[in-house]
Amino acid sequence: MPRKVEISGLSKWFGELEALRQIDVAVEPGEFISVVGPSGCGKTTFLRMVAGLEPATSGTILIDGQPLRGPGNNRGFVFQNDSLLPWRTVLANALIGPEVAGKVGDRERQRTLDLLKLVGLGGFENYYPRQLSGGMRQRVNLARALAIDPDVLLMDEPFASLDAQTREIMQTELLRIWEQGRKTVLFVTHQIDEAVFLSDRVLVFARRPGRLQENIEIKLPRPRALALKRTPEFIAYVDRIWTMIEHDVRAAVIDEHV
Amino acid sequence: MWNTVRDKYTAGTLSVVGGLLLWELVSRVLIANQLFLAAPSQIVYAIYTLAKSGELEKHIAISAVEFAIGYVIAAVIGIAFGFGMASSVRCKQALQPWISGFYATPTIALAPLFILWLGIGIWSKVLVVIFLVLFPVTINTEAGLRTTSERLIEMLKSFGASRSQIFFKVSLPSALPFILAGLKLGIGRGLIGVVVAELFGSRAGLGRLISQSADAFNMPELFAGVIVLAVAGIAMTAGFGWLEKRLVPWTKD
Repeated sequence: MPRKVEISGLSKWFGELEALRQIDVAVEPGEFISVVGPSGCGKTTFLRMVAGLEPATSGTILIDGQPLRGPGNNRGFVFQNDSLLPWRTVLANALIGPEVAGKVGDRERQRTLDLLKLVGLGGFENYYPRQLSGGMRQRVNLARALAIDPDVLLMDEPFASLDAQTREIMQTELLRIWEQGRKTVLFVTHQIDEAVFLSDRVLVFARRPGRLQENIEIKLPRPRALALKRTPEFIAYVDRIWTMIEHDVRAAVIDEHV
Repeated sequence: MWNTVRDKYTAGTLSVVGGLLLWELVSRVLIANQLFLAAPSQIVYAIYTLAKSGELEKHIAISAVEFAIGYVIAAVIGIAFGFGMASSVRCKQALQPWISGFYATPTIALAPLFILWLGIGIWSKVLVVIFLVLFPVTINTEAGLRTTSERLIEMLKSFGASRSQIFFKVSLPSALPFILAGLKLGIGRGLIGVVVAELFGSRAGLGRLISQSADAFNMPELFAGVIVLAVAGIAMTAGFGWLEKRLVPWTKD
């Protein structure tokens, strides 16, 4: 079976700054992969490069064996801030992907309405973003990415701006949605427990330069419920990853305060 | 609900009514000389007689035509300039010094020159209005397009949007509140332009009505002209407020 995403020797320089060094990652179809690391480790840059929003300095990204050429409809991007258009209704926002591709028919409309139901926004399709809570806006953000029926879902700290309780609910919701479609997911987060809870594998990045430090398989049974977070196995994974990046995180914190 | 509405308007209404009463009292009792100050009741009467004779209608029609032609031309050119400046660095560099210069200059002072060039008919006033309205519209349009959120542009790019799709789906709608604000600013400036240009030389118009009333020491008619202008300005600005609520509701509440 061909790999869904195959990244080899991926490097990125911003002028004189080496942001990412020689990343090699292979992703199987339907895998849920998280990327964690201290701030400044290049995890968001990595995701943006897979999205085609940022060109690579060197190295290759293959999707279904095809080299990547800019953004495309085989990948859906879920943004950290919801990036909803304030003048559009929930439905019109979610339909922007098909609209850009020039195909908004009854089929797309129905599909998107079903997706809004799937993310728990049934009945809200005619609301405007300003009428929604942060959690609901992130649900629209997710539905919008799913509306183009992408092979790969790229998520950039989508729950970072939500409060702790809403975030936990959104994590279980995301798993529920993912179980139904089994899309390949690349999920960037700074929350280790979030990464362990959601993923089949966690990629741990280190900083200066940003690089792949460790590739940890999460062998926890699915489907997963929130109670899993209190089991010793779960805590052991979180501890192990935390120990790995602790030194880097401390260094990053000091850097940011100087 | 009724209570909040009443609270919202009580103070304002009382203040206006009180002010008018005070005005009436001062001009009737203290000054008691129509050459210096007209009482509100006399102004209302003057408006009534001017309207009845058809005189007021004539002046309003002339001023309205001058304003409308100048305003529409300025809006069209201003929005086009704003688009040009936002989309091309060259264009911005070429236009910026002129825009900044004219915006800062009291161009109203050029009115006598325009009258010299174009005569005392409506076109000299149209030109003054264009000069006064054009620059705020241009500046706002450009600022609105330039401040389009990078996040929203990025979002659209992630779906593979083309440049023109980004323009029509993100830049233009997010610039709309700015463009409307520029047009709103233009109303007041345009009205000033019409009246002042008419004061410098004209055959008819509200400015003309005001200047000929002043020459004849006819205070009620002078105030009548001013009141009509004020009402026009308030009505148009309120109309814009309504339009903003309909067109760009996301900027409110």
